[in-house]
Amino acid sequence: MSLPEAYLDEVNALNREILKSKPTDVLQFCANFFNRRLEAQRVEFLLSASNNSGFSSSNTFGAMPSSSAYGGGESLFPGSVVNLGGPPLDGNRESPFSGTIREEDEDVGQSPTTPSFRPAVLGGPSISNPSLAAPPLSPGQSLFSPRSRFAFGNDQPPHPGSSHLSPSIHLSPNSASLDFPSNYNMGRRTSVSAESLVPSSSNEEWNPPVYPKTPEQLGRLKTAVSGNFLFMHLDDDQSGQVLSALMEKPIPGKGTRVITQGDVGDFFYVVEKGSFDVYVNSAGSMLPGLDGMGKKVNSIGPGGSFGELALMYNAPRAATIISTTSQNILWALDRVTFRRILMENTFKRRRMYEAFLEEVSILSSLVPYERAKIADALEPFTFHPGDVIIQQGDPGDNFYIIESGEAEVVKHGAHEPVNRLTKGDYFGELALLNDAPRAASVRAVTRVKVATLGKDGFQRLLGPVAEIMRRNDPRLAEGVDPLSNVGSPGPSGGFDGGKDVVEEAAGRGRAVEV
Amino acid sequence: MEITAQQPAAPLSLPTPPPDKLLDEGPAIAELDKVDSGMDIDFQSDSLHTPVSGPTQVGSGGPPVNGQAKGGGFGNGDGEPTRKEEGRSEGGEEVNMTDVDQRPPSVEDFDLMTTLGTGTFARVWLVRPRGSPPTENAPLFALKQLKKVDIIRLKQCEHVLNERSILEVCRPHPFITHYLCSWQDRASLYILLEYSPGGEIFGYLRRARRFDFQTTQFYAAEITMILVFLHNHGIVYRDLKPENILLDARGHVKLVDFGFAKVVGDRETYTLCGTPEYLSPEVIQSKGHGKAVDWWALGVLIYEMSCGFPPFYDNSPFAIYEKIVAGRISFPSILPEETKDIVRRLCTKDLSARLGNMCGGGHQVMAHPFFDSVHWQELENQVHPGPIVPSLRHPGDTRYFDQYDPPPTTARDEYTDEMFEKYDASFHGF
Repeated sequence: MSLPEAYLDEVNALNREILKSKPTDVLQFCANFFNRRLEAQRVEFLLSASNNSGFSSSNTFGAMPSSSAYGGGESLFPGSVVNLGGPPLDGNRESPFSGTIREEDEDVGQSPTTPSFRPAVLGGPSISNPSLAAPPLSPGQSLFSPRSRFAFGNDQPPHPGSSHLSPSIHLSPNSASLDFPSNYNMGRRTSVSAESLVPSSSNEEWNPPVYPKTPEQLGRLKTAVSGNFLFMHLDDDQSGQVLSALMEKPIPGKGTRVITQGDVGDFFYVVEKGSFDVYVNSAGSMLPGLDGMGKKVNSIGPGGSFGELALMYNAPRAATIISTTSQNILWALDRVTFRRILMENTFKRRRMYEAFLEEVSILSSLVPYERAKIADALEPFTFHPGDVIIQQGDPGDNFYIIESGEAEVVKHGAHEPVNRLTKGDYFGELALLNDAPRAASVRAVTRVKVATLGKDGFQRLLGPVAEIMRRNDPRLAEGVDPLSNVGSPGPSGGFDGGKDVVEEAAGRGRAVEV
Repeated sequence: MEITAQQPAAPLSLPTPPPDKLLDEGPAIAELDKVDSGMDIDFQSDSLHTPVSGPTQVGSGGPPVNGQAKGGGFGNGDGEPTRKEEGRSEGGEEVNMTDVDQRPPSVEDFDLMTTLGTGTFARVWLVRPRGSPPTENAPLFALKQLKKVDIIRLKQCEHVLNERSILEVCRPHPFITHYLCSWQDRASLYILLEYSPGGEIFGYLRRARRFDFQTTQFYAAEITMILVFLHNHGIVYRDLKPENILLDARGHVKLVDFGFAKVVGDRETYTLCGTPEYLSPEVIQSKGHGKAVDWWALGVLIYEMSCGFPPFYDNSPFAIYEKIVAGRISFPSILPEETKDIVRRLCTKDLSARLGNMCGGGHQVMAHPFFDSVHWQELENQVHPGPIVPSLRHPGDTRYFDQYDPPPTTARDEYTDEMFEKYDASFHGF
């Protein structure tokens, strides 16, 4: 049984607060937290109640405005929303968008204390127009912290016709139960970008750097990055290349600064040996002086890692890291190498998939764009020797292409495998066409990597396969059994993917052009 | 189409704005004659502050793209400003003011009035052609200045070149900021754009905290139309967020900042870029990404407009990415079912199930029940004003823009001769 979502959200918010504040009196902290939450929600509720009564009496607000408010050609309150709330009910309305509000001159109903979210509040530059400026908040204070929310209720009960800058005008009447996160930073967000990467062309193969490691070291590294989502989805090739590319970096001496808060970051580090302290200065970067590094927030020992954001793009370092033992060893990986490994692998695999797909007879009428789309949606899977990939008699859902390894086709009643499948071979594609049960089983002989896509996914992307086949095969439209001309009638019968077609596909697959 | 005194009023069913709300109180046409004739700007464009061409052409895709670059000679080696010129025909008549004066435009041709926005290597100015009378009806533009030294430092050269060429392709679209011309001088690149006085949707959203259903629907619908247009041209936008959506004088959206836009066709691309809260899982995980990332971002945008905060947030970017990759979205129970459904369908990791990426493309998005009450043709023709109409006291009113510090006067990062030698060729063609 799972816990209710609302509860999880509360507990997660509390967890974050605890991590941030590290309170000594945990119980009191939790009690305060929930009291603040309760207070905030109550204020929202009261605010919304006052909104509702105020608006409905004015006849221009409320969930169902009277039609005269639209048709009259004039709004009673130039600054008001005429069509708040539910879907249009009035059939005379020409457009759902005919209700219009004007952003109002700020001298109408605007008090200097109106909470507004101009950047002054967000720690940005100041604002010259005093009526747009919000009451000062301490730096870093969340706009929607319980305190500032409380201010809405006290300072300015909204009234009809009040400025758009009042917080409630665009709220749907009962939206107060939408609760605002207390820790969301409402400031403008800047874009991020990594270096442009373009896959290398086929004639200039790129080889990632390789720094040899012992099996123990590799094992430790693997464990160290296993919880990191940037590494979790990597396949064996990618993961092997990434781990090989980690470079040993000895950090001699105690008190050596490895990364500095606020600096640009290009490397991700895993601790092999030694230990490191993590300092964060709330100013956002390390400052000169004794306390310039800020507060110690954590320490990291062997198996730990830091600087992972640098694997995505060049962002300022969020903390300062300093060695605390005299003999330290780190493994370092830079962003461009990491991303390039991922990109080259993905790029090659995509082109390989596209080439394989070209050989699938029932998909021969796909245009390149469609093959790209399918290649994009193919999901990789790995099977171990002996694993049954599809079972004869089961309903067929998925279509498979073998990326590497070897599998055999077995049928009930046959003692020997009726076929062997290797790289570039495909099977189960008839599942895309109909719901017939699998005509044979396919079992992994070695470790087999496949790429697969289900019928539903295929149809969502391109529409019904039968339609696609009909494009260049008018016989299908005339009711000829599509199975009669699918694949080559090998020992597996209608099972598909004749071996000779398949050999060629495998060959093509290896010679992918960029 | 903009509200000006010369233009026919919006449809009768709409509340007519009181006369004192109109932007242009006096005839603006008279002002044109006083404008410096050395200006190399297409004054016939239907940009907001050049209300000189009588009935402007709007809607149904606008005029065809025939403003092809006419090879302004560049690359003469001694650092002289180079440019692209744009001719543009409206109603079959070729408008080409460049014959009047062959001098390329320069930043000296403009009064830089105030800063409208800043980025890591760009600053956008509100500008007025120098010599134009400082009246309220003077034509105004947004001038984006990109410092070469920063572009090189941040390795964004490719993105910048993409930006200019894509803006050119997008000129006919009513909901994309109109590109007028571009040039460069020794230290900077310049892109001259129409000015959208309404400021960012971001500001309205934060002030209102969240938008009601119809407001959200309206902006989402116009953005959807933009995405369909861009994707039809093989362009992925990659930086959708309320900060990049401006409002024009009638409250319609104007998408800005094409710094990450790229022509991808049907292929995938690999450079990670965007805004943390809006990144899709495939971008975060370097799986290669395509146009589908814009549909994911549309889902995030709809969520943020409806709720006031994005579906995936945290104090640290890395924690945001963990949540995006985990893919769990919790919805405030009060959200309408159609809103939840469209967000779920757009923000799905499975590319074969993501709305907009499936068979039917963007038209499937438009057909979603969330957009049921949208009249797409009227929307495209901008028959009605938007749900929020900025109230401007005069065309140069910048109250909807944040205030920015003036640029630092000390030139701390100079574009040295050495850098010029080494890198300037990469800006040829801008």
